Amino acid sequence: MEILHYAFMQRALVAGALIGAVCAVVGVYVVLRGLSFVGAGIAHASFGGVALGFLLGVNPVLTAVAFCLAIAWGIGFVARKGQVREDTAIGVFFASSMALGILFIGLMHGYNVDLFGYLFGSILAVTAQDLWITLGLGVTVLLVVGLFYKELMFVAFDPEMAQVTGVPAAKLYFLLLSLVALTVVLSIKVVGIVLVSALIVTPAAAAYQLSEDFRRMMALAVLIGVASAVGGLLLSYPLNTASGATIVLLATLIFFVSALVSPRRRRRRAAPR
Amino acid sequence: MDRPVVVELDHVFATYRDLVVLEDVSLKVSRGDFLALIGPNGSGKTTLLKIILGLLRPAAGEVRVFGRAPWRLDGERWRIGYCPQGLSVDLNFPVRAGEAVLMGRYGRIGLMRRPSAADRAAAEQAMQRVGVADLADRPIARLSGGQRQRVFLARALAAQPELLLLDEPTTGVDVAATDSLYELLRGLHQTGITIVVVSHDVGVVASYVDGVACLNRRLVAHGRPEEVFASDALEQMYGCDAMLFHHGRVPHMVVEKK
Repeated sequence: MEILHYAFMQRALVAGALIGAVCAVVGVYVVLRGLSFVGAGIAHASFGGVALGFLLGVNPVLTAVAFCLAIAWGIGFVARKGQVREDTAIGVFFASSMALGILFIGLMHGYNVDLFGYLFGSILAVTAQDLWITLGLGVTVLLVVGLFYKELMFVAFDPEMAQVTGVPAAKLYFLLLSLVALTVVLSIKVVGIVLVSALIVTPAAAAYQLSEDFRRMMALAVLIGVASAVGGLLLSYPLNTASGATIVLLATLIFFVSALVSPRRRRRRAAPR
Repeated sequence: MDRPVVVELDHVFATYRDLVVLEDVSLKVSRGDFLALIGPNGSGKTTLLKIILGLLRPAAGEVRVFGRAPWRLDGERWRIGYCPQGLSVDLNFPVRAGEAVLMGRYGRIGLMRRPSAADRAAAEQAMQRVGVADLADRPIARLSGGQRQRVFLARALAAQPELLLLDEPTTGVDVAATDSLYELLRGLHQTGITIVVVSHDVGVVASYVDGVACLNRRLVAHGRPEEVFASDALEQMYGCDAMLFHHGRVPHMVVEKK
C-alpha cells in the first residue's frame, strides 16, 4: 500500500470518499423521485461548462457550476410548464450543451487540454485546489440536504400531498435540481462527466434494494458510495485503469449483488410508477 | 344556519384542455357537515376536490376555503386534511407507516425544523384514532390495502385539520373494511371535523353522511340523502334507472345497464 504515501493519491482518496458520500445522498432523492435521467442530462451538460472555462482561461469548475445550474433550472422550468415532456427537455438540453462544448473547444487555438480526464475521470488530475473546491461544494450540498431532509423526503414520496399540506414542492424540486448540478460539478475531476450520473444513481439504487426504511437507505447508499469510490481508486492504480470507470463498475457490481439478495425480490408487488 | 361556511364555490367552471370538466358548480359546506360527493367516472369529482385543495384553479367562478382563495392559505394549509386515492404513490417507497403519518405534520412544523415531541405525539394519536398505532414500525410496502388506507387517513389527521377531504377512500378495500372506515369517519365527524368524501359507494355512503351532492359535470342535486335519493337525481346522473334497496343495515344501489 505504498501508493498511499503519494500526495496525489491521498488527495484523490479524500476527494473520492467525499464524492462517494455526496453522490449517494443526493442520489437517494434522485432515485426515489425518478429523476435518474435528469442526473445524466445535467452531467453531460457540464461538458459545455468545462469547455467554456478552458476557452475563457478561467477555472473550468466555476464555469461548469454556472452552466450546470442554468441547464438544471432550464430542464426544471420546461418540465414544470408541461408544454414539453421532461425527458424531451433533457434530451434537447444535454445534446445542445455538449455540442456547445465541442464548438468552444474548436475555437481554442491548438488544444492541449486533458479532455479525456474530464470525460472519464483521472486521479492524477486532482490538484490541491480541486480538493478544496470539492470539499467546499460537498459540504455545502450536505448541509443543504441536512436542512431540508424531511421536506425532500416528503416531496419524493408524495409531491401532491406535500404541496397540499403547505410544503413548497415546486421550490424543493428546483432545489433538488440545483443540488444535482453541484454534485455533478464536484465529482467531475475524479469520476468524469460521462460517469458521474452512474455514481449518483447506482449506490442509491443498490441501497433501495436493501431498505424498507428511509434512514437505512440513506446510510447504506453512503456506505456503498464511499466504498465504491475508495475501493475503485485503490484498484485503479495497480490495474492502471481509469478511476471513474473502476469506481462505477465496482458500484454496479454491488448493485447486482444487492438486487440478488434483495427482500424486495422475494416479495415483488406491482409498483405503480 | 349560523354555522360558519368552510368551503364555498360560486359558479365554478373548470376545464381540462378543451373539455369543460365542471360547469357552473355552486356549493357550500358549513362547519360540521358530513358531505358525500358522488357521481359517475369522469364527472369532475376529483377535479372539484383539487380545486378546494388549491391544486387546480377554476377557469371561472370563485372558491373560498376558510374565507380565502385556497391557493392563498399559506401557513394555514394544515387546516385542510387530505386523503388521496391510495394508489397515487410508489408503494415500494422505503418508509415506515409511523414516519409517513408524521409527514402529515411537516407543513405545519415548517422548513428547517425537526419534528418535536408534540408533533410525534400528535402523529401517534392520529394513528391510535384510526386503529393503526401497532403498525407504526411496519414499512408501507408491507401493509394491506385497508391498512394503508387507514395510515393515509392518519396522515391526513396528524396535523389536526378542521376540514377533511377524502378521495375514494375505499378503492380496493373489501366490504368489511369499507364499513369500518365509514364508522371511523362517523366517529371523527362527531368530534366536530367537517368531512367531504368523494365516493363511488352510493349506497354505503348514504347511511353515514348528512348531505349528498351529486355531480355530473354540473351539480345535479344537493341535499339530505333521503331527499336526493327520492328525487330522480341518480337517474339523471347515471343516465339510467337506479334504485336503492336496503339489505340489512347497508342500502345498496342497483343500476340497470342500457
